[in-house]
Amino acid sequence: MIIQVKDVVKRFGDLRALDGVSCTIEAGEVVIVLGPSGSGKSTFMRCLNGLEKVDSGVVIVDGMRLDHSKSDLRRIRQTIGIVFQQFNLFPHLTAMENLTLAQKVVLGRKPDEAREIALELLKKVGLSEKQDVHPAHLSGGQQQRVAIARSLAMKPKIMLFDEPTSALDPEMIGEVLEVMRDLAREGMTMVVVTHEMGFAREVGDRILFMDQGRIVEEGRIEEVLKNPKEERTREFLSKVLKG
Amino acid sequence: MGEWFIKELKTLGEILVFLVPAIPMTIKITLMAFAFALALGLFVGLSRVSPNKIFSIPSRIYVDVIRGIPLLVQIFFIYFGLGKILNLNQFVAGVAAVSICYSAYLGEIVRSGIQAIHKGQFEAAFSLGMTPVQTMRHVILPQAFPIVLPSVSNEFIATLKDSSLVSMIGLRELTRAGREYYSQYFVTFETWFVVGLIYLGMTFVLSRLASWMERRFRVHGWGMG
Repeated sequence: MIIQVKDVVKRFGDLRALDGVSCTIEAGEVVIVLGPSGSGKSTFMRCLNGLEKVDSGVVIVDGMRLDHSKSDLRRIRQTIGIVFQQFNLFPHLTAMENLTLAQKVVLGRKPDEAREIALELLKKVGLSEKQDVHPAHLSGGQQQRVAIARSLAMKPKIMLFDEPTSALDPEMIGEVLEVMRDLAREGMTMVVVTHEMGFAREVGDRILFMDQGRIVEEGRIEEVLKNPKEERTREFLSKVLKG
Repeated sequence: MGEWFIKELKTLGEILVFLVPAIPMTIKITLMAFAFALALGLFVGLSRVSPNKIFSIPSRIYVDVIRGIPLLVQIFFIYFGLGKILNLNQFVAGVAAVSICYSAYLGEIVRSGIQAIHKGQFEAAFSLGMTPVQTMRHVILPQAFPIVLPSVSNEFIATLKDSSLVSMIGLRELTRAGREYYSQYFVTFETWFVVGLIYLGMTFVLSRLASWMERRFRVHGWGMG
């Protein structure tokens, strides 16, 4: 397994955002994380790459235990890429520069090499002609594709997607899902928080259903969607599948 | 009337000729003090937002103390107080006092600029494996720069004007030269009129320069979108 999470608790003040979460994720798996808002999905994702420090429990990524020493955090973040709901591209840099910055300063790649890798990835997400454009001049869908390419430039083994299409206009969702679909096909290990059930069913291997800071149900996608065991899962699914 | 006017013009001209040699000193004090204040202010501002209390608490106290004391008192304190112990000359003491005072203001401006950047920018940079220093240097500060530019140019203009205060410890800059002239010739109104006019001329140039820079960064900017 490439990710192992055991008894993770994360508090924000009195709120237990994660209340004893345990799970394992295998290399090459696409795991869909579902759950109502405030159920701890985002916090769970952010604990996987160390953006949030867990209060107790263990997170092991690619054999490294996340203990919040600085060097470990940096290594883990080079192993895991994350794509945010709000894209978080660097607005003062062009698409190309967004992709090359961390390659140069974190991985120490030569500018030529970094550009070559960046261009290849921009091509892959269908935006090579936008390489010299600043994010403000890109549509939401284009920005999110650049953000995915930026993460991929670090050659991660795992990609986290935290509601990657929730901030997008409906007509732009497809182009982002298409890129994610390609990635899954190439065997990338992915953890995806999404409400796009069509995508989940098509691409996902497994579902983790979260509620109130816990994983209340997990299983193969078809099984959970067809026969949810838990009442809370059933309730939630009936809402999202209708919508 | 015409005769009076010509005589008056001549006086103003004489004052101007007397004052001009003191202008370089005013410029020198301003540029040096502001350069130091910027460097120190950047450090103070970064310390203020540091999660490490070893940096954030002292920098906060520094800002509160320095901002709470009039610049003139700081100049006196550094020149007559510390200066006597450390053997500082007027120029060093004057520049030091202005630098320290303005570093506190600039530190607050830097802090506000950094805090204006969305936290998603920090998270994106950290998620790509960047260290806090790399994040500041390559991601946060370049974005904070256009935000703080108007406030920083205000402080630059204020530094120029406040450089007149170092005349009180005998440094012969523009204001000091004005005092020398009027105590010699007793033409109070005309002297301070010309001194004021020279300051106005210099600040006018600076504020034009500032708006040019702001425009430039808006045109080449990225719209913060």
